[in-house]
Amino acid sequence: MPDIARPRDDVIGIPSKVLRPGISQAATRGLSIDSLVAQHYGFIWRVLRGLGLSPTDAEDATQQVFMIAARKLDEIDPDRARSFVYGAALRVANNARRGLRRRREVLGDAASDETEPESRGPEKMAELVRARQLLARVLDQMPEQHRRMIVLAEIEQLAVPEIAVLEGVPVGTAASRLRVAREKFRSLLTALRDQNPFGEEL
Amino acid sequence: MTPDPIDRLGARLFEAARDEAIPEGAPRRALAAAQREIGQEIPERARFSARQKWLTATVAVAIAAGSLLLLRPKEANLGISAEPTRVARREPERRSVPRVEAPTPAVPAMPHPPSAPELLPNTAPAAVRSAPASLSDELSALKVASGALSAGDTRAALAALDRYDRVLKGQKMRAEATLLRIEALSRAGQTEAASALAQRFVEQNPGSPLVDRARSFVRK
Repeated sequence: MPDIARPRDDVIGIPSKVLRPGISQAATRGLSIDSLVAQHYGFIWRVLRGLGLSPTDAEDATQQVFMIAARKLDEIDPDRARSFVYGAALRVANNARRGLRRRREVLGDAASDETEPESRGPEKMAELVRARQLLARVLDQMPEQHRRMIVLAEIEQLAVPEIAVLEGVPVGTAASRLRVAREKFRSLLTALRDQNPFGEEL
Repeated sequence: MTPDPIDRLGARLFEAARDEAIPEGAPRRALAAAQREIGQEIPERARFSARQKWLTATVAVAIAAGSLLLLRPKEANLGISAEPTRVARREPERRSVPRVEAPTPAVPAMPHPPSAPELLPNTAPAAVRSAPASLSDELSALKVASGALSAGDTRAALAALDRYDRVLKGQKMRAEATLLRIEALSRAGQTEAASALAQRFVEQNPGSPLVDRARSFVRK
């Protein structure tokens, strides 16, 4: 899988201090747009997928995120780079989804552009595509805040303190939101369990 | 204790999401866009990009030249048309002319279409075995290969070049096809194969204008 190293090694700080105007920390501490893309591309693309964008729209939106990051490079604290790109991704996702809603109103539901590498075999490909579609259907029914919790905790497998930093809330609040989000997810998935793409395996 | 089926289903869905492949070349495209945004150079990729640009330019020139030929066959009295005809195949052999000489990077625009002998291969023996592919077919195949290569899809590029070799039995654009294959192999990580092919190309086409580019792929 042509993936980028996941940002497990990031040191997380306080989101409100992500931007430090006037201090060119990037230049002095070696933050480059190359390293930002290399470390965080996969994270941002998956978050945007989890927030409901198609693979193609997620790619476009991720590109926008890193264009924003490039413009702000000198203002980003290297220790909080992931928080910065995550915040930018949420804003870009909101704009992208507004555009998508308008597009759907005009064109109706377009066919999914979801694809899988052919090397996996047609059955496995179909199974994975159906699995992602089911996940998207469940997430679509969740409140935005809970949806983000599920994406960060279950897809990105971040720890609660890391989620708290990205979301800019106390750890206790993040833990509480995650608990509620998991309950909600489970309940919605139970209602859709007849769409299980894995058949008898489960 | 066995996990609940719903929990297992959820875990499989999350796994499927984590396992989803990022579109090929997407990080590279994002980096390029971000660098353009701040007007930054790409020093570590400069050599590779220059090579790719050169290849793209070569193929574009070849395609432009071919299109000129296809659009003005009678006017230029070339004896070829968009579709191969028996008349075209009955052109006399011109063995002394190299197979592909028309497209060179040093000649970005061609004021006149090249003469027929420059672009026509030694078609007579092949014509006896089977009808040769038209120039437009060959150009289409190379355009597909070049596009795939630009998009970072080396597998599709090599597939298009295979089609050029095996199905079309392409001859008119042979040199460009070989250079594209060398590039595709190199980008696919098959550097030994790319180097060997480049070496053969250099040995067999010492007078080709493409030889310097091919030589750059030969491993020292």
